[in-house]
Amino acid sequence: MNSFEEIQSKWNDQDKIKAPKDGFKSLMKKIEEIKNKQKITNGVLLATVLVLGGFFFYIAGYNNHQVILGLSLMIGSLIIRVVIELLSINRLQRVNRSKDNTLFKQELTKYYNKRRIVHIVITPLIVLFYAIGFIVLLPLFKANLSAGFYTYILISSIVLLFVFSLFIGKQIKTELTQLKFLKDSD
Amino acid sequence: MKEKEETFKNIYHSNYDKVMRICIGYTAGNNDEAGDLTQEVFIKVWSSLDEFRNESKMATWIYRITVNTCLTRLRKLKKKVKNYDVESVIDVPQENETIDKEIMYEGLYNCINKLSETNRAIILLELEGLPQKEIAEVIGIKHEAIRTRIHRIKNELIKCVNNE
Repeated sequence: MNSFEEIQSKWNDQDKIKAPKDGFKSLMKKIEEIKNKQKITNGVLLATVLVLGGFFFYIAGYNNHQVILGLSLMIGSLIIRVVIELLSINRLQRVNRSKDNTLFKQELTKYYNKRRIVHIVITPLIVLFYAIGFIVLLPLFKANLSAGFYTYILISSIVLLFVFSLFIGKQIKTELTQLKFLKDSD
Repeated sequence: MKEKEETFKNIYHSNYDKVMRICIGYTAGNNDEAGDLTQEVFIKVWSSLDEFRNESKMATWIYRITVNTCLTRLRKLKKKVKNYDVESVIDVPQENETIDKEIMYEGLYNCINKLSETNRAIILLELEGLPQKEIAEVIGIKHEAIRTRIHRIKNELIKCVNNE
C-alpha cells in the first residue's frame, strides 16, 4: 500500500458490522445490572458506616476513655476512607465523556492528580491513625482476652495491615500509571 | 422512559457499526475486546443521553464518547493487544483471499496501534470519513492544526505499512 488512498480503500472494503441480534436487549440488561450493582455497593458501604457508627456509640456508653479514643481513631479512619472512596467513584463517574478529547483528558488528569494527593498524604495518615487506635486498644485486649486470642488478634492485625497496604499500593500504582499514560498520550 | 429507550434503540442501531469500527481500531483488531468496549460506549451514551443538547451533531457527540471511553480503557488493552508481523501488510498473495485480507487488516491495525493515542483517534476518525472540521470538534484541536496533523499521520502510517 503506497498511498493513503489505498489504505482508505482497504478500510472502506471492510465488511459492514451489524449489531448482534439480541445486542440491544443484552445492553439494556447490562445497564439494569449496573444500576442494581451500584445500589448494592452504596447500600453495603452505607450499612458499614452505620454499623461502625452504631458500634461506636454502644461502646461509648461504657465511658472508658481509652476504648473511646482507640475506637474513635480506628472507626473514624475507616469511615473517612469509605467516604473518600465513595466520593472518588462518584466524581470519576461524573467526568463528562461527551466533552472533546482534550478537555476530557484535562479533567481526567485533574481527577488523578487529586487521587495522587489522597494516596500520598491522606491514605498514610488514615493508616497511621488506624494503627494508633489499635495500639491504644492493645493493653485492653491483653487485660481482657486470653493469651491465645490476644496473640491471634495481634498477628492477624499485622497480616491484615500488610495485605491492606499491598492492596492500596497496587491501586496507587495503577492510578499513577494512568496519570502518566494521560500525560504521554498526545 | 419508553420514549428515551426508543430513541436510544435507534441511536444504537444506526451507530453500532461506526462505534465498533473505531473500537476495533483501538484494540488492534481484537473483536471480542472491541465488542466489550462498544458496549461500554453505549452504556455511557445511555447515561449521558439527557445531556445531549443538539449543539453538535449526534455522530460527533457519539464519536466523542467513543474516543474518550477507548482512552480510559486503552492502558489496560495495550497489554492484551497482540503484535502482528507488519511485513505481511505489504505483499499479500492473491490466493486464500479471506486469510490474506485478515493478515492485511491485522498489519494495518498494528500500524495504527503504534501511533500515539491522539493520533490514533484522529486517523481512525479520518478513515471513518468524518469531516476534518468534526474531527477537530471531537479531539478539541483547531481545524487548521488537525489538517496539518492528519497529513503527518498519513505519512507515518504509509511508512509503517510499507515497513520503512
